[in-house]
Amino acid sequence: MDKPWKREPKLIGQLWAVVRYELLWNIRKKKFIGVLIVAFAITTLNLTLPVILRRTYNMPIEANPDYVISNSGMGGLMLFLFALVTVMNSISGEFEGGTIVPLLTKPVSRTLILIGKIVAAFITIFAAYLLLYAYMIVGGTLIYGSQNNLNLTPLCILGDLLSTFVWVSIILALGSLTKNTILTSVIAIMVFLAMNIGSSIISVFTESAWMLHYLPGNGAAGYIKVVGQPMVYAGSISTGTDNITKMIIQYCLHPSVNVTYVKVEWRGGTPQGGLSSLLKELYSEPLSLVLFRAISVAAAYIIALITLAWYVFKRTQILE
Amino acid sequence: MDLAIETIDLTKKYGSLVAVNRLNLRVIKGTIHGFLGPNGAGKTTTIKILVGLLKPDGGRAIVLGEEVHGDNPRARLKIGYMPELPKFPRHLKGWELLDIYGQMYGMPLQERRARIKRLMEVVGLKGRENDLIGEYSKGMQQRLGIAQALLSEPELVILDEPSLGLDPVGMVEVREMIREIAKDGVTIFLSSHLLSEVEQVCTHISIIHRGICLAEGPLKDIISKISGTAILEVEVAETPDKIVEAVKRLPFVSNIHVEGSKVMIETNADGDVRPQISRAIIETGGTIIYMNVKMRSLEEAFMRLIMKSG
Ligand SMILES: Nc1ncnc2c1ncn2[C@@H]1O[C@H](COP(=O)(O)OP(=O)(O)OP(=O)(O)O)[C@@H](O)[C@H]1O
Ligand SMILES: [Mg+2]
Repeated sequence: MDKPWKREPKLIGQLWAVVRYELLWNIRKKKFIGVLIVAFAITTLNLTLPVILRRTYNMPIEANPDYVISNSGMGGLMLFLFALVTVMNSISGEFEGGTIVPLLTKPVSRTLILIGKIVAAFITIFAAYLLLYAYMIVGGTLIYGSQNNLNLTPLCILGDLLSTFVWVSIILALGSLTKNTILTSVIAIMVFLAMNIGSSIISVFTESAWMLHYLPGNGAAGYIKVVGQPMVYAGSISTGTDNITKMIIQYCLHPSVNVTYVKVEWRGGTPQGGLSSLLKELYSEPLSLVLFRAISVAAAYIIALITLAWYVFKRTQILE
Repeated sequence: MDLAIETIDLTKKYGSLVAVNRLNLRVIKGTIHGFLGPNGAGKTTTIKILVGLLKPDGGRAIVLGEEVHGDNPRARLKIGYMPELPKFPRHLKGWELLDIYGQMYGMPLQERRARIKRLMEVVGLKGRENDLIGEYSKGMQQRLGIAQALLSEPELVILDEPSLGLDPVGMVEVREMIREIAKDGVTIFLSSHLLSEVEQVCTHISIIHRGICLAEGPLKDIISKISGTAILEVEVAETPDKIVEAVKRLPFVSNIHVEGSKVMIETNADGDVRPQISRAIIETGGTIIYMNVKMRSLEEAFMRLIMKSG
């Protein structure tokens, strides 16, 4: 009857139990596997399409040592989809399926259960990104020759994870509040679309781009400008929480550039110097500040929303 | 007396509906305690408070000496709980689920292995432990529910309608299993609709109706207290008429009727009245061939109690 483990179960063992419970679920989710396959398919297309096109027109395949670095940093949609399929039902699904009842009556606290679920989501998405980057590096090296700046890859993965976890925390908070997977997904998708479409509109047509610095998603669009040199319009960059990796790369390669925000302004008549004459410069900031701010905003969202999810989850009564 | 479960004026409301109304339960350690009540009586609600799924609106609950309040994992360490119609993650295999739950109790690997193997045999899921729970039938999930409740060899096992959805063989098996674990001194608290099941396995019962506890105590006491005492079945050799007259005159006899050569005597006395009855019959010159005390069934007691409380 009186076994030592009955008196004091080890927290770390209990945490691992929750992580295992969740990991086994994550990797068996059909939607997750689907998104992983799509991500691999897109990476494959990205790698091979130029080759195929050049082959068709009998053009030589040029070595491109910057292939990997210029393709690092996943698109906002991919980040969002990984977050969505991994955690959309992590909390709500337990309520809908009634599995929350046996789970919460085990001798683990709700706090530990939530931590375990987040750790499992981290491991799952981390593993997926690791595979995708490894695939891109191997494929890129085989097709475009040896690659530069591969030492930045760990930072890229970290940046992508941070970006993804902003969405993860939004979805977890929604799941904890609604306890309904469909509602959670619909609201999350609406937020994602609003942040992407909305941010473009605000960024391009208004002078309020500054407020995008504090919202999740794509953020304000700006242009990279080397201090003391004229603006290069080709070097455009998005500065939201979805683009942390792109900004990390830019910062590591050109630490002292500025980001200049612009808006489109119609001055009447026909534009003289092409498209660029339509752009009005708003203000500039050092990229270091922009990057630091995006990382801080992402961290703030993650902490605040996970705290919210935890607070609600901790207090929920199980009526199911 | 050591109590495994004690509630003091426990109250739970759903909006304006009072599901549990100042309930005072006392479950003695080492007993098999049946928790009876019609549909919607508040059994599941009470149990959910005991295991920390619901917060009471008033009163207290003490389980194995630990006050139940909020999310208290320590209090759950010594409890095995099987929910009403349990649902488990469909994507896990039977043994995976038990292994993970075992880990949550802090059971070491070797112990988990041995225990899971044993339990799968006991609940009749041997050979299916590698199947996904999503492929289990309702009854198999129920069996898995029993297995996970017993997994950590808990001091207190709370079963919410353990035989719901089981086939007749399964029901008998559950009954035997309950008796078996009770032998080790484990306290079992089970809610049920099946009065005959409760009657067969429980030593103590509580009867709850509309959230109020109507009766509680040892099974036999409850039955006799509610339905008066026993019915005496007496078979006599001849002339029952004279006998009926004589027996009727006894102060503790409340009713009497004759079925052929048998006289059924309802009494409302405490204690054994067989000597007085046999004396009365013999004094009239009758001959007693056979005498038997028939206990009323729990069902009868239950119906009476529920009817009386309206
Ligand atoms: N989630 C809920 N929301 C509102 N009312 C509820 C809820 N759960 C239970 N009730 C009500 O509380 C009362 C007690 O329900 P409970 O489930 O505790 O009964 P029970 O004794 O377990 O019944 P049964 O034998 O049918 O399982 C019922 O009137 C029921 O309608
Ligand atoms: Mg019930």
